[in-house]
Amino acid sequence: MLIDIRANATPEDSRTHVRFPFKLDEPACAVGIHFEYSPKCLDDDSRARELLEQSFEKYVLPEQLALAKERLDRHLPLKNLITLSVDDPAGYRGACHRHDPVQSLWISEHDASPGLMKGKIAAGEWTITLSVHAVVTERCAYRLQVWAADEVEKGEQP
Amino acid sequence: MRWTACELHAHTLHSDGKMTLLELASAAAKLGFECVALTDHNTMSGLADKEAAERQAGIAILPGMEWTTFHGHMVTVGLAEYVDWREANTGNIHDGVSAVHARGGVAGLAHPFRIGSPACTGCYWEYEMEDWNDFDYIEAWSGTFAPIKTDNARAFSLWTDKLNEGYRLAATSGRDWHDAAETEEPISVTYLRLEDESRPIGEEAAEALRRGRVSVTIGPLVTLEAQTPAASYRIGDVIPVGERTVTARIGIDFSVRQGLWTLADPACRIRLSSNKGVLEESAVQATEGTQEARITVQTEGLSWMRAELWGIVRGVTTMIAFTNAIYFD
Ligand SMILES: [Zn+2]
Ligand SMILES: [Zn+2]
Repeated sequence: MLIDIRANATPEDSRTHVRFPFKLDEPACAVGIHFEYSPKCLDDDSRARELLEQSFEKYVLPEQLALAKERLDRHLPLKNLITLSVDDPAGYRGACHRHDPVQSLWISEHDASPGLMKGKIAAGEWTITLSVHAVVTERCAYRLQVWAADEVEKGEQP
Repeated sequence: MRWTACELHAHTLHSDGKMTLLELASAAAKLGFECVALTDHNTMSGLADKEAAERQAGIAILPGMEWTTFHGHMVTVGLAEYVDWREANTGNIHDGVSAVHARGGVAGLAHPFRIGSPACTGCYWEYEMEDWNDFDYIEAWSGTFAPIKTDNARAFSLWTDKLNEGYRLAATSGRDWHDAAETEEPISVTYLRLEDESRPIGEEAAEALRRGRVSVTIGPLVTLEAQTPAASYRIGDVIPVGERTVTARIGIDFSVRQGLWTLADPACRIRLSSNKGVLEESAVQATEGTQEARITVQTEGLSWMRAELWGIVRGVTTMIAFTNAIYFD
């Protein structure tokens, strides 16, 4: 395992990137990545309404505030969002910007999960970047695992 | 020269869209588009299938990427390669735009007034802007049935304000298309005027956006020209000082994308707007073909003018189409 960490993000981490570098000592066939975070949704309805009303003050014109509040429910439930991008020793290998809180990803010379770019898995310094777009719950636990693999192991999490 | 029907903002399952690139391209072709930009969030991996999807769907695909940052979403189109979005902070967006330009791309504000964090972090534009001329365009219309939405009205006003302040900035529409499901709502088309069809369409489309050769509509294609005895000027052009009067020619082409849009009421109004307000407004009736209105314009005090088409759609009086500006020096 090249990375295996469990950590927590909090609302203060919103709008920050967290970088996890790792080293491949020799070229590999593939890199597997498993990433998950929890909870996805803010279940506390009154807290969610409070957060949304605060954001309306900032983002909605005063004359449209009443209408926005009437339609507040369309934004519920509020969700945590953390996305992942990958850099290899030569540069960017793509991002998986989606809302799934569990993502099993694969990147190899011949294929890659959507969002990532297939190509040689070179030795050197790689980085996984977690982009914490929003944490709306008190804390959001996440786990990131990264491993080097043979093609035949595709999809299997060690 | 040709006006090309484009969709400039769309996602696939390479980010959070539901379609493959081929499904997206085929759906766009079915809606009468000749060109669709793939603007996935923070990745260009979907473009690996570009040639095959273009061949099968019979439509051009423009390379692009939506910078999905914490402080704003910026659509980029026409880039040859990826530009890193992760260094963006509220004070340095102009560096990102310069990097996009250096790689042949154009950059625009995506849905700048959509509600931001925590409902949709980055969806509201919060960057400090030093020089609006650095940007190529504002996505004035986002989503379906765009002209009636309050966020879009705000984006459209922002564009008008910037024109009034003297910036030369284009306005576009972008569906922010994620889903293969069909919709009953009117769909916006951004027509780009391609000057040189021998060049690759990606480069020509970027050039059209850069120069503001853009006309946006949920129905007929509206065009605008200005003529003097010596020359004729089109959308995006600059009329030199010294021209005291020009003849504005507004064309309304009701024949475009036949069968793919409807106006329940044939009564429309064509309007010539400017920094000095409405210069002229007159009635037109929707037909099957093309109509033209000619208006003599005194240029004193004018810095820009554009044409707009207004009418009743789904029972609502709304803007149906607008051209980008012709400028005065
Ligand atoms: Zn966006
Ligand atoms: Zn988008």
